[in-house]
This record gives sequence, C-alpha cells and structure tokens, in this order.
Amino acid sequence: MATTQAEQRVSPRAVQVGRRPARRARNGPLAVGLTLPALLIFAVFTILPTAYTFVISLFDWNPLNVAQSRFIGAGNYTKLFGHATPSFAASGLTSLYFTAGMVIGGTALSLAIAVLLQRGGALLGAVRVAVFVPHVTPLVATSIVWVWIFNPQFGLANAVLHLFGLSGVDWLDNSATAMPAVLAYSLWHEVGFTVVIFLGGLSVISGELGEAARVDGANRWQEFWYVTWPQLRPVTVFVVTISTISSLQAFTQFFLMTGGGPVHATTTLSFLLYQEAFVFFHTGYAAALAVVLFVVTALFTLLQFRTRRSSSR
Amino acid sequence: MHVRPGGAPSHVRRRRRPAGPVVRRVVAVAVGLAFLAPFWWVVTTSLARTSDVYRFPPSLLPHWHVANYARAWAAAPWPRLFGNTVLVAGATVVLAVLTSVLAGFAFGVLRFRGRTALFTVVLAVMMVPQTVLLIPDYVIAQTADLLDTYWIQILPWGASVFGIFLVRQFFAGLPTELFDAAELDGAGRLRMLWSIGVPLVRPAILIVALNVFLGSWNSFVWPFVMTSSPAVQPVEVGLATFYGAQGTDWTGLSAAVTFTTVPVLVLFLALQRHFLTGAYSTAGGLK
Repeated sequence: MATTQAEQRVSPRAVQVGRRPARRARNGPLAVGLTLPALLIFAVFTILPTAYTFVISLFDWNPLNVAQSRFIGAGNYTKLFGHATPSFAASGLTSLYFTAGMVIGGTALSLAIAVLLQRGGALLGAVRVAVFVPHVTPLVATSIVWVWIFNPQFGLANAVLHLFGLSGVDWLDNSATAMPAVLAYSLWHEVGFTVVIFLGGLSVISGELGEAARVDGANRWQEFWYVTWPQLRPVTVFVVTISTISSLQAFTQFFLMTGGGPVHATTTLSFLLYQEAFVFFHTGYAAALAVVLFVVTALFTLLQFRTRRSSSR
Repeated sequence: MHVRPGGAPSHVRRRRRPAGPVVRRVVAVAVGLAFLAPFWWVVTTSLARTSDVYRFPPSLLPHWHVANYARAWAAAPWPRLFGNTVLVAGATVVLAVLTSVLAGFAFGVLRFRGRTALFTVVLAVMMVPQTVLLIPDYVIAQTADLLDTYWIQILPWGASVFGIFLVRQFFAGLPTELFDAAELDGAGRLRMLWSIGVPLVRPAILIVALNVFLGSWNSFVWPFVMTSSPAVQPVEVGLATFYGAQGTDWTGLSAAVTFTTVPVLVLFLALQRHFLTGAYSTAGGLK
C-alpha cells in the first residue's frame, strides 16, 4: 500500500505547486525558520567549503601550519599539465575508462535485466530482490569479498574459468585486468539500483504500441529497439547521468581492491585526489583536482536537471 | 504463466514468442543466482577450515567450522564499532528527517518570497560531490577541533537534498485545503504540520530515513579520513583496518565480512519494498 501511494506521490502530476492560491507575505518568517536548519548545515558543510576549495587550490597549502601557506595563483592548475606520476591526464583517462564501462555496461545490463524481469510473478519478483541486494551492502565488506573472488590461486573467478578449461588470471595484479575486475564488482554492486529505475519506467509505458508492432510482424528485438526503448529515453538519460556522476566519485572499491595499482593502472581522479591530499599532503594540488571534479560533476548534474524538467512536461 | 488482465491473450503471445516464459524464467533464475553467488561464496569461506580454503578448485559446500567467527570477533573491538555505527547512523537519520520535514513543508506548502531562489540553492548543493568536500571539511574540522569525533560524522549529513525534495513533493501532492486555515499563526502552523502533515507524509519519511541510514552505515571514505581512533570509528572503517592487518586470513576475514553485513541485510529483507520504492523515488519526476 505504501509503495503504490509513494509511487503516485512522486509522479509529476502531483507536483503542481502552481495551483495553490497565493499566500500572504507573513509566511516569510515561518518559512525562514523552517528552512534554516537544513540551509545552515548546507552552508557550513557544503556551500562554504566548496568556495574554500577554490581558495585552497590557489595556495601552496601547508596542512600542518596553515599560516605558512603561500599564495601561488594558478600554480596548482599549471601543475595539472606537468609530469607528476601518475599525471592528471593519465588518471583522467582512467576515470574515463571506469565511467564509460559503468555507464555503457551498467545501462545495457540493467536495461536487459529490467526487460527480462518486467511484469513478472512471484519468481521474477524474487529475482528482482536478488539483483537489488548487492546495492544495499557496504562497499568495504563486499569489495573484500571480491578481492577473494579474484584471488589468483583459490578464487571463484578462476574456478569458473577452470570449469571452461581456461587458465587462471592474476586479476587484480595485472594492469590489463585490474580495471575490468573492479568494473565487474562495481556493476554487481550498482546494477540492481538502475534495474529498479528501468522497471519503474517500463511499468508506465504504453503496452499498446508494442502490441501493434507485434501485429505488424515485428520480432521481439525490433519491438524493443524501435518501440520500447525509445519510450524509455528520459529514463535512460537519467540513468546515464546518475551513473556518470556516481562513477566519477567511486573510491572505496579502488582503495580496497587495487590501491590504485598495479602501477597506477586504476588510479582514477577521485583516488588521486585522496592520495595527493591525505597520503602525500599536497593539499593545494589536491584542491585543484577537486575543483576540476566539481566542475565536471556540476555539469552533469545540470544536465540531469534539464532532462528531468523537460521529461516531466 | 502470469498473464496480466488486459494484456494479449496467452495463446497469441505464445505463438508470437517461441522463446516463451520457461526460457525467460530459467534465464531470470540464472541471473538471480549469479548476483547471489558472492554471498554464498563468502559464507562458505567463513565456515571453512583454513586448510580447506587453500584448495583448488574450491569447495562450494560449507563445513560449519565456526571457530573463524570467534577468532575474527576477538581481533577487533567490534561491539564498540557497531555501537559507533548505530549511534552515528541513528543520529544522522533523526537530524536529516527533522530538517527534511521542516524544509520540505516550507517548500511544498508555504508560499513566501524567495522560495524559488532558496529551493534552487538546495538543489545546487547536489552538484557538490562528497569527494570534493573532503579537503575543505577536513581543514574546517581541524580548525573547529571536530576531527576524530562523532560530530564530524553526523552533522555534515544532517540535511539531505533528496530528503527535502521527496518530502516537498509529498506535501505538494496533498489537497491545498488541508493547510488553508489562513487565520493560523506560526505556532498554529507548526502544530498543524506535526498533527496533520507528518502522518500524511510518513511514507516519504520512511524512505528518507532508510536512505540516510543506509548511506551512513555504508559510508567509508568520510569516516576513514575524518576519524583515527576506534573509540569513534564505525564498523566499516574497522573492517577495512582488519583487512589491512589480517589480509591473508581469508576465513577470518570472511567471517568478519559476514557478521558486519548481516545487520544491513536483515534490515533490507525486512523492509525491501520500501527500499525498492526509495530507489524508484530518486528518479523523482521521471516518467
């Protein structure tokens, strides 16, 4: 009951704030009082710190004695194009690799699973829960499980290869397979969430168009490609943007599974940022990386807002 | 086979779709089992003798060797770590629900000057990822003497854009007349919010609470950077430390993974419908 109620409530039809009659200005003080607690927390821990990141990025920051920090202007930003190891460009490409894998792989996989599980009975409902479970598990705990799965001598991954007569791989210690392994784990962890979003989209699109296409002789693939998926376009764009944003921030699985290695092969921007700031204490340089990450994330968030607004019209 | 009323008659569907429901069910079950396999694998490992684990190909049947659990449990201050996690997650939930209901009511029901501007500010907060906040919030926490405390784990997450957004949508969906008693003063409005509004938006509150609780319980990089002593650290940071120290004791590690994850799984299985609704709600106005 609560489920259907909630689903109705969040539909765009429910968000017609405009039909409300105009209220008097004396709501002002009350409204300020009610929004103040949230705004205060945002101001202190998000908004001002974001501005502060820009400031820090302009300094040769001394984390042990802030007073000794030296203003260097754009110095940290020119360093982005220097020869640090791993370089900003290299870790940017690594981030792109991971993000592209998550966005393309995750969207395709979750769309396929959603189509497989749509409008099913109890059995398919149980599968839906099974696919979603990994998403609620802690990244630390399940990353450790997958390190063990990818163990070269005794792991499950190589046991599966062995079953098919293939020889084992040293997954996490090989720079060619480390990223695919982290991607496999991350897809396992994230896909359940996007499956549910696609299932939500599938549950409200028209079945009649599909029927019509089948009557006209379309096979199932054609029906999906020309009829079903185009109707899911807003949902797909949403999934792509939120996957992009969350993949850019991914950190925990890299920290536990690869430590950014081997030889920086899995050092993404987020991992580099952490390392520069909290391992090497290059705070100013790390802040410049944070600014770059912020700008990229902000652009994708704006894109998400745009698609959300245009799709709810 | 499950045919929905109003859908195509099943004989039509069966003729048009040679790869019928049986194949679909078999594939679906295979997908489900593939997603569950890592859970089976970690539980099996946690119950195996160390000598059994180092065999290839691995055995996939548990051996009920519970000594691994005793060893893992003794290796770290788990009760304290669990207590810290529950305290931090619980306090974050209370704070986030409170701020979400108050702000969500203001944005969803009241009309006031600057409403759109303020709401835009709230949405803009979504543009800032946690990773970006690590550095400045660390410096601020250092200055304010908040490092290695519960506070720095609770306060920054005590307001949630998703929470405000969802509660606002629930309020905006209620009939206008409910809150139309214009003669009420501010205190009257607050009483009305408590007695009429809160019960009506309870589904939203539950979704927000679950979301924030899970986010707090599962978070790692924030408490890892902001805290340094087990006295205030959450269980996931403790688990990462345990992994760093005992990285080769796979039976003990698997036991620790199991007993630290079971609480989350129990919570999920008890309230799975709400979790799925919550996931769906993040898509918000998408249709």
